[in-house]
Amino acid sequence: MTEFLQLAFQGFSLGCTYALIGLGFVVIFRASNVLNFAQGAMLLVGAYLISWLAVDVGVPFLVAVLVAASLLTLGGAGFQAVVLRRVTGQPPFVIAMITIGAGIALVAGVEAIWGPEQRLLGDPWGSSSFQVGGVTIGWVKLWGIVVTAVAVAGYFAFDRYTRSGLAIRAIAGDEEATLSVGVPVRRMHAITWGLAGALATLGGLFLAGFPGAPQPTLGDAALRAFPAIVLGGLTSPVGAVIGGVVIGIVEVMTSGYAPDWTGANFYAVAPYIVMIAVLLVRPYGLLGRAPAERL
Amino acid sequence: MSSSKSLSTAAVLVATLSLAACGTGDATTADSGGGSAPASGGIKGGPGIDVAAKTIRIGDISALSGPVAVLGEPLSAGRRAYFKQLNASGGIDGWKIKLTTKDSGYQPQQHVQQYTAVSKEIAILNSLGSPTTKAIQAQIDRDKLVTFPASFDSIWGADPQMAPIGTPYSYDLANLLDYYVASVSKKPKIGLIYANDEYGADGRRGYDAAQESLGFEDVGQLSYKTGDTDFTGQVQKLKSAGAEGVVLVTTPSATGPIVGTAASLGFTPQWLLQGPAFLEQLITKDGSSGAKATPVAAALKGALVTSFAAPWGAKDVDGMADMIAAHDKYTPDQPPSIYYTVAYAQGKVQAELLRKAIAAGDLSRAGLLTAKENLGEVDLDGLTSNPTFTPEGGPPSTKSLITQIDPGVEGFLKPLEPAHGSKAADGLEIPES
Amino acid sequence: MRAFDSRRLALLAGLVTLAVVLPFMLSGSTLTTATFVVIGAIAATGLNVLTGYCGQISLGHAFFLAVGAYTGAKLGQDKDLSALIWIPAAGLIAAVFGAIVGPMALRVKGLYLAIITLGVVFIGQHVWANADGLTGGPQGRTFPAVQLGGFDFSPGKQLVVGSVTIDSTGLYYYLALLLLAGATLFAYSLRGSRGGRAMIAVREREAAALVMGVDVGRTKVAAFVISAALAGVSGALYGSFLSFAQPEQWSLLLSIQYIAAIIIGGLGTTAGPLLGSIVIFALPSLLKSLPFLPEEGTGGVSVGTLSTIVYGLLIVAFLVAEPRGLVGLGARARTLVKNRTRTSPVSPHLPEEALT
Repeated sequence: MTEFLQLAFQGFSLGCTYALIGLGFVVIFRASNVLNFAQGAMLLVGAYLISWLAVDVGVPFLVAVLVAASLLTLGGAGFQAVVLRRVTGQPPFVIAMITIGAGIALVAGVEAIWGPEQRLLGDPWGSSSFQVGGVTIGWVKLWGIVVTAVAVAGYFAFDRYTRSGLAIRAIAGDEEATLSVGVPVRRMHAITWGLAGALATLGGLFLAGFPGAPQPTLGDAALRAFPAIVLGGLTSPVGAVIGGVVIGIVEVMTSGYAPDWTGANFYAVAPYIVMIAVLLVRPYGLLGRAPAERL
Repeated sequence: MSSSKSLSTAAVLVATLSLAACGTGDATTADSGGGSAPASGGIKGGPGIDVAAKTIRIGDISALSGPVAVLGEPLSAGRRAYFKQLNASGGIDGWKIKLTTKDSGYQPQQHVQQYTAVSKEIAILNSLGSPTTKAIQAQIDRDKLVTFPASFDSIWGADPQMAPIGTPYSYDLANLLDYYVASVSKKPKIGLIYANDEYGADGRRGYDAAQESLGFEDVGQLSYKTGDTDFTGQVQKLKSAGAEGVVLVTTPSATGPIVGTAASLGFTPQWLLQGPAFLEQLITKDGSSGAKATPVAAALKGALVTSFAAPWGAKDVDGMADMIAAHDKYTPDQPPSIYYTVAYAQGKVQAELLRKAIAAGDLSRAGLLTAKENLGEVDLDGLTSNPTFTPEGGPPSTKSLITQIDPGVEGFLKPLEPAHGSKAADGLEIPES
Repeated sequence: MRAFDSRRLALLAGLVTLAVVLPFMLSGSTLTTATFVVIGAIAATGLNVLTGYCGQISLGHAFFLAVGAYTGAKLGQDKDLSALIWIPAAGLIAAVFGAIVGPMALRVKGLYLAIITLGVVFIGQHVWANADGLTGGPQGRTFPAVQLGGFDFSPGKQLVVGSVTIDSTGLYYYLALLLLAGATLFAYSLRGSRGGRAMIAVREREAAALVMGVDVGRTKVAAFVISAALAGVSGALYGSFLSFAQPEQWSLLLSIQYIAAIIIGGLGTTAGPLLGSIVIFALPSLLKSLPFLPEEGTGGVSVGTLSTIVYGLLIVAFLVAEPRGLVGLGARARTLVKNRTRTSPVSPHLPEEALT
């Protein structure tokens, strides 16, 4: 039982990180129909910026996180404003390809600046943990869950109660109509990219936290979040969060309990099998919606 | 119209190919090709050899970008430093070494391309990695090129062109388990976590051989995939099974999270690390002594490691002072790494091989191969275990350097036994590839 | 169908001649690169039918390449059959898998389809890593050299035609070139055919195609089957030319390279797959030899890393400047020339094949 609870906690914690990553995908996709393949590279950059600021520059950790998140927010919005704005209206996979190119350059850029070795994150939690009924709770995992909860709540508050949030929801509904009533659609697109940058920083922070470390392959975890966003539906922020948590738990549970006949490392594909099964039943995910189609 | 045109072009092409010849033949290998005919001083030249200028070109296809650059960079730097130091001290009987380094990013396709780019102008090749070197193995055999794989897969012992140094993974692991089982009072329960690739598979061969020979209780063999971020499942399984010793045939990016996860779950078995599972950066920020410790450093203390090279800076190792001098002079920016030492030691073996070939007056590829096969034991001054090269091939060394992680010492590895052998390792056979 | 004017014909003849004499102009390593490009272009041509013609985005191409490669290995090496059998068989078996995966596109659309096919790649890699008998397991396996009658493509063999010598790399190049020519011709004639027009109708507006009487399901599955078959042939050649591969190699990254190739070349165009393959498969090694970069292994930032940065940025810059790909760029250049030679301004027009 302790073993089960331990795995459930670890899965939930991993799932929260997937939720942060997934939300970053959905925020952009909902507003502009762009699947941002550079999300993984962005969280890599976020983790390295935090590490650089906290360890090499020596600023307090919280400051490092805030500065890194701000830089990525600006970077994300800037990339949208300078690069993607020029290809508005192009087919979605051309834009997706541009984000792939940007991701390739970013990952190599991190290697060029900081080298291929793993680094210290510079976080105050390290390996410290406490026990609850035999289950070990790592402080960094707990903070990951808390910060995810705050970030998700913050996002939903933004979405529901601010003008920008309303505008973005309107764009998600019908971009042309929103444009015609005077909403600055382009600025809204830039805002979604900024939000994705901030979310990526937080995702990177907790991926690189103990027992992990900032290293160049960190961004690959974003691929593991794909099943999460698809499970929930590409257009549904709630779906991304639920999907993230579910996939995290599925992954850790199968790594603990998958029978031998499923082959070595079945847990790495289990999320994809769940995803394909869900999509075949509900083609737009559990909570996504089909785009209206005119004849 | 258009289709018929193109079709006829294609047809003409086929016709030319098939009419002009009935098939392929063996390429006449111009063995002494590469320009210089046998000349000055009676030395027979070959590809990569400039007899007039007395230079020998050595190739190095490494991984300097991508995920394996963390190993490729110290390897290439150690090699570079060795040859610069050698040239500065007069070379080999006046012959100077030139080094051509290429980057494959650890991708087999790029490796093949880089190989075709350098193969005709080098005398000896260094090739990083198992899958990458296997992709060029057929061409290496055809080109009769003596190749030093930077990979400790035991299959290399079966190919006469290959000059592996170091103890193969499977032998290392068998020796490590032998050492551990002998050091505890009763037969321990042991588990294994391994990377699901050829490195992990070779480690498993050693684990199974040791289990058969030593009779410890095997409580589980669990694998992981590159890119995994959470290892709780594997660690939890071994914890529940009551493992007293856990073998890691992993890469450092997994070693850290596995040991860290176990420590936070209150699971502290005797860790047994296969050489590549260890990296100095697991202990401190930049791998140098005295730098800030990593969060897993404390949990790694006391782990047994089969290091394939002497710990960085070890005082009682004869060859260490020369190497550190070369490092500080030629590659001061390269962080300490046992991979650097391995490459530096490989450089020594290559210099010995060339010395023998020069003495025999034959630097052609055939001459170099003969020199390699008759090299015998090469003394590496304790940097790595001494390799032995014979015409029969086989593993260059079957003994292992057993060390223990101690964050307090230089290089973080405290040598326990310099050349530990075991019955389990002796019983291993080189697998057919 | 559009008639070829004499200039186009001359251009085509020139290109074919260039492709045929290329091995005699290139050094060994560049010819190896060129061979990888041509082999890759076969698979890209297949993906172009699926994505360019039919509008279905698939990230699953690596899976079909792997199916082809392992079919080739099983029949060519383990069963010792001739390449005349295992190359077509690779296409055939991959096509069967295309027919199995294809129906997913009936349920799932757009980027959802992209992600579901991405799942196919991961599941494929899991199967390859566990099917030791077929794939050698995680350690990988060797692949057979092509044996075609009297022609042996193993390294060290060569073909002497009069005074001309073609080595094994050259043989692979010509074989791949022939197959690419066949694939390109097929794809070209497909576009004018009934089936091809149905695919384009599905791409443009699925609901409208349905109304027009197009069997949308059959059309999509057919596109998947064609795409998979060409991927299978390409994969078999790729494995054979590389001589060794591990399950890890049939990865998402490989799939992405093919998508990148057809987008950069120009979606739905005839020349696009080849042009894009040149950029995607040859550029990384060409960039490494740029004159202003320091020599590899002299310390500092690795050239490989720098060239990767340049590679990524080039993809971004190029697609921002010309989202229609290289073929679009060509069209733009032609328009420019025409505008200059004629007095009256001509409205810029795209070649009808280009996707807008």
